[in-house]
Amino acid sequence: MTVQLKGKPEVVTIQWIPKYTFMERLGHWLHTATFIPLAITGMILYFPFLEPLAQGEAGLFVRLVHRVAAVIFGLLPIIYYIVEPRRLLLHIREFLPRKEDIGWLKAAPAYYLLGKHEAMPPQGRFNAGEKLNGLMMIITWFIFGITGVPMWFGKGVIPPEIFRWLVVFHDLAMIVSVCMLMVHLYLAVAHPLMWAGLVSMRFGVTSAEYAAEHHAKWYYGPKRAMEIWEAKKREGAHH
Amino acid sequence: MNGEKTERRMSRREFLGLSALGLGISLIGARPVAAARAASPDEVAILYDPVKCVGCKACQMACKRWNRLPAESTDPLGIYESPRDLSAITWNIIKLRRTQTGWHFFNYQCMHCTDAACVEVCPTGALAHDPLGFVALNRDRCNGCGYCTQFCPYGVPHLRVENALTGAAKSAKCTFCQDRLWEGIGGPACAEVCPVGALAWGRRGELLEKAWARVAELHARGMDVRIYGETEAGGLHRLSILLDEPEQYGLPSAPKTPAFARAWQRIIQPLGNVAFGAALLGILGAFLFVRRKIRMEEVK
Ligand code: HEM
Ligand code: SF4
Ligand code: SF4
Repeated sequence: MTVQLKGKPEVVTIQWIPKYTFMERLGHWLHTATFIPLAITGMILYFPFLEPLAQGEAGLFVRLVHRVAAVIFGLLPIIYYIVEPRRLLLHIREFLPRKEDIGWLKAAPAYYLLGKHEAMPPQGRFNAGEKLNGLMMIITWFIFGITGVPMWFGKGVIPPEIFRWLVVFHDLAMIVSVCMLMVHLYLAVAHPLMWAGLVSMRFGVTSAEYAAEHHAKWYYGPKRAMEIWEAKKREGAHH
Repeated sequence: MNGEKTERRMSRREFLGLSALGLGISLIGARPVAAARAASPDEVAILYDPVKCVGCKACQMACKRWNRLPAESTDPLGIYESPRDLSAITWNIIKLRRTQTGWHFFNYQCMHCTDAACVEVCPTGALAHDPLGFVALNRDRCNGCGYCTQFCPYGVPHLRVENALTGAAKSAKCTFCQDRLWEGIGGPACAEVCPVGALAWGRRGELLEKAWARVAELHARGMDVRIYGETEAGGLHRLSILLDEPEQYGLPSAPKTPAFARAWQRIIQPLGNVAFGAALLGILGAFLFVRRKIRMEEVK
């Protein structure tokens, strides 16, 4: 597909290539649609300054929304696994940390703040930052479930000594995941270099040029991507 | 996007504004760290004397009557305790405890802690200290989250559950007969009804003097007794004379949950706020910085 953007000094031609399947995008947006209400309703119980919203009937409603959203939030990955078992395992494999992620993390500040791309090692379909985000979402999904379900049904069943720690870990998972979400939102919505991310997650496609630059190992294949990168590095050393 | 924008630096005002914003975010959620409160002698309290108690359960009945609590059917299994424990509809019971000198009664109810874990964790303010020192419960404010039931070191509050699935519930516990005090009707029904004066209520300072005098008297009679509640959890508003170590009564000698609840809320919550503040600040800073460093038309 070719799209022409007019109104600029020259015509920009973008070659679109597929990046995410329909199920991947549906899963991503359903996760978003349940995570955000969960975070908001949870924070109403968590922040003392939101106390008026937590009181009485309103508070009862807040807790009910948290539970309805939690059921969908909890079941989503399980349904996804039933529908597309290989995809889910692929994601987990894609998210696992690798050696070159350290190089990416080191080079990332210069890239994201100054746009300096030279030191960024080639990345797969997910870059190290996205992998970190994905991994944290998987880990916190487990923590939310392991702590949240007993917080729901366990009062009077499990010892209070354990219950107290469940609330603490539920809160810690919330703090970590909400911080991740804030950074994720900024990069997805407002960062100029990440413009293609939101397009991909909405329509499933990305620009070939963007993919070659940001996801070389996925675009060219790992071997070719490394060759190109090595060549570029040698070229850079000559200058 | 902002291709025409010439290079601009973050102004002093922007920088100061950002810093203030970050600080504000970190502070907004933090609970005010109150200095450890001490129970004042002018506050009210209940004193329980197990040596006087005859186990007639008039207190238990008076509590049910005044608070309109329904009867509870239990299987006492040949034991004197009935029901066996506090519940959402039983706020005051006579328990039987084995001490070094044999079996004794013990009246069990809310201890009305000064350093109350339940007040600390309640997200709605439904549980709060009355100016007279006892821990009052505002049922309209309660949202049924049940944290109080899990953090109280004495296992006092219980949820009256309407629906376990939706979580609809209300907390219930001894309120020191808050309505009787507020309406000027009198003191707690249990203490007023006790026929032998085993339960008495009054100013905490006076009751403590009375308790120490009674302990001296019992010591003189060769009994090994002690006071429970003078300092525990910041000072309880339910004082007890015990015939053995607190543990024999199932009472913690040093209730730790108030400290735990405080650590959770006053350390972890502000830490979380600092994390949120830092994240937000970093993002805003990056946003302003990147806006002038990276030109959209050069982006592939
Ligand atoms: C499997 C998913 C989840 C389950 C089963 C769950 C369950 C619960 C339950 C039962 C409570 C206690 C309140 C009540 O009894 O109504 C609670 C509180 C809370 N939840 Fe969740 N939750 C889940 C996911 C999440 C997520 C994704 C977030 C935030 C991003 C979150 C944030 C919170 C917070 C902040 C609280 C308040 C804790 C406090 O009072 O400090 N939860 N959750
Ligand atoms: S005994 Fe429990 S319910 Fe009563 S004031 Fe202390 S912490 Fe609260
Ligand atoms: S159940 Fe009610 S009283 Fe108890 S902590 Fe929750 S809101 Fe407060």
